[in-house]
Amino acid sequence: MTNDDKNTHDSQSNERFTGHGSEWREANLSREEALVATSWVEQKIDRRSMLTNKDRVEDVRDIMWQLEKDGEIVVHRVKDEHEPINVKTLYGWNKKIPTTQLWHHKSCGQCGNIPGYPASLLWLMNKMDIRYLDETDQTSCTAWNYHGSGIGNLESLAAVFLRNFHQAYIAAKAEGLREGYYYPLVHCGTSFGNYKEVRAYLLHSAELRARVKKILAKLDRLVDGKLLIPEEVVHYSEWVHVMRNQIANHQEIDASQIRTTIHPACHVYKMVPEDAIYDDEILEGNRVAVSTGIMEALGTQVIDYSTWYDCCGFGFRHIISEREFTRSFAIDRKVRVAIEEANADVMIGHDTGCITTLDKNQWIGQAAGKPVDLPILADCQFAALVCGAHPYKIVQSHWHASSTEILMEKLGIDWRVKKQEFEDYLKEVEAGNQENLYDPRRMITSGPGFKRIEQRS
Amino acid sequence: MGHAANGTRVQDYIGDPISDSPPVDRDELEEIFRDIQSDLRFDHELNGCLNCGICTATCPAAHYYDFSPREIVQLLWTENLEGIYDAMQEKIWSCAQCYTCAARCPFGNSPGGLIMLMREVSIKHGMQSAKDVLRPFSRVMLKLISTGNQLAPDMINADHFADWGPNISKIDAPLKLLRKAIPMPTLNTIETAWEVNLKTSVELYTIWEMTGVLDQLETIDENLFDVITDIMDEKREDWEDFVDGQGDDD
Repeated sequence: MTNDDKNTHDSQSNERFTGHGSEWREANLSREEALVATSWVEQKIDRRSMLTNKDRVEDVRDIMWQLEKDGEIVVHRVKDEHEPINVKTLYGWNKKIPTTQLWHHKSCGQCGNIPGYPASLLWLMNKMDIRYLDETDQTSCTAWNYHGSGIGNLESLAAVFLRNFHQAYIAAKAEGLREGYYYPLVHCGTSFGNYKEVRAYLLHSAELRARVKKILAKLDRLVDGKLLIPEEVVHYSEWVHVMRNQIANHQEIDASQIRTTIHPACHVYKMVPEDAIYDDEILEGNRVAVSTGIMEALGTQVIDYSTWYDCCGFGFRHIISEREFTRSFAIDRKVRVAIEEANADVMIGHDTGCITTLDKNQWIGQAAGKPVDLPILADCQFAALVCGAHPYKIVQSHWHASSTEILMEKLGIDWRVKKQEFEDYLKEVEAGNQENLYDPRRMITSGPGFKRIEQRS
Repeated sequence: MGHAANGTRVQDYIGDPISDSPPVDRDELEEIFRDIQSDLRFDHELNGCLNCGICTATCPAAHYYDFSPREIVQLLWTENLEGIYDAMQEKIWSCAQCYTCAARCPFGNSPGGLIMLMREVSIKHGMQSAKDVLRPFSRVMLKLISTGNQLAPDMINADHFADWGPNISKIDAPLKLLRKAIPMPTLNTIETAWEVNLKTSVELYTIWEMTGVLDQLETIDENLFDVITDIMDEKREDWEDFVDGQGDDD
């Protein structure tokens, strides 16, 4: 709508509900003037300085150690046995990323919708002999629902966080191992951001701690009568990042001709930004390092685009009930820009909602006269693919609506042959001969169906 | 500019400028604001505001809706009770919760975080707007509260997501078989994203009860609350039977 159109509209209705307050007046800038007026904002958000110019930044881990010293909490430590690798976060602080003995905190959206995402991660771990546990005793973080609906509250989010992380702490007992053996690895970006935010509030608020302690006591999930707080909240993309060179050692398919665009997840690096990994070697430290790091290590060409910083349009609520917004934003602000500006072969993400949004919303673009076609994968799926994982058995690319086949062709993978192999394999599955990434008896650690190690013959 | 230019819009027409509904009682407006302000996150999320508008500059929702995070922050900062109530009727539900605003605000405000407080309070007060907005969300809430998973394979089908294309999977095979072919045994499920331990669901139900989430749900959707209560009572009985059975075995 042009300004003239708007003015006509205004004069006809004599009312305009702008939402900007009574003092607001239209600037009536031309497109060029508007670009000049706002270009400084665009430049600023491209820089890491946007996040580092603020005061009042604290490392909540300092409070955490003090609370442990005061005898109020127990800290689940990242120990040497977890073979941690140190990385630097936004302000140059250290973060310890455990690399083995990992408890997979799954994502409901990944598992329900794009199962090749976690399967690829576990496949990579098998490739590198990483010890892990994938079990049934976990809830989702409940934060998707919370951010979408407002149902839930800080107390419920905190109780769910502490409950799941406590389970990670004790899970190894089912295998005859000691508490603390496994360290939680969070798959979902929403969970990652939510858990970090909640941890900070728990450390700050004695009142919140007191309230959730009653709940955790009722669930019998205190350690020595105290709340258990993790030393680090770790996202799977951080594990992929610190393991990127080791992963690249397993690479079987050359990816140097692939033009990659990265979509970073808002809840991974905009929420509790001080905990996100930055690396001076990766995009000069100006942008969060995860995903870009692995894609560079695998030899792809990571190409920049102007809406790198934008969200995907998921919106939590919107993807369920206002999908016009979600698909418009996903296509117009992300996918189309990546294609037109970067001539991208693929867009890589590291979060559940983003992958779903960017992948699934391309189909409707054709109907709306906005055809776009850009393969969408998670970083670990791409890594598994070029390390020789089966595109359907492991990467489960058939759940992706976007044209992953085009990407496979560029990588020299004959997807038709692989698809036929998978269809043949389904007959084996039907006959009860499916292949698993781990012993299924390990997945139940208590309750109905649980068998002790000595009973597993 | 009509009402906006006269500066009388908010005071005269709370909630809906063309509605016949009576103005909202001042006590209720104060109670709503008190509920927002008393959340322990409030002071952390709101530190001040100079109206710079950086938050709105790249807000994704502001591209598509009559929505401005700057406006939300200003309403709260200036304690504009009528405006806050007005925004809670619709605008707060536009926010995509990406927290770009929080990452960018020079004051360290979190407009997205403040909106979450307002959403919670709109539910607490049983606002019709919240009920309307959340009606399509009931499937997610049913799944989440009764199983501990928010999304499940049986929720993704062409009827509910027609705009995602005719094929949920590019391999034409029954969903059950495709799920069984996922090489993670926890994922060989249809009704939940992963197999959820019975104890897990029961524990989550306890959390919902003790944190007042079930009360929230009852306020917003009584029928859904009843359905979930029945499901969870059954699961609790199953768990108690299992525990009793363990005792017998001993």
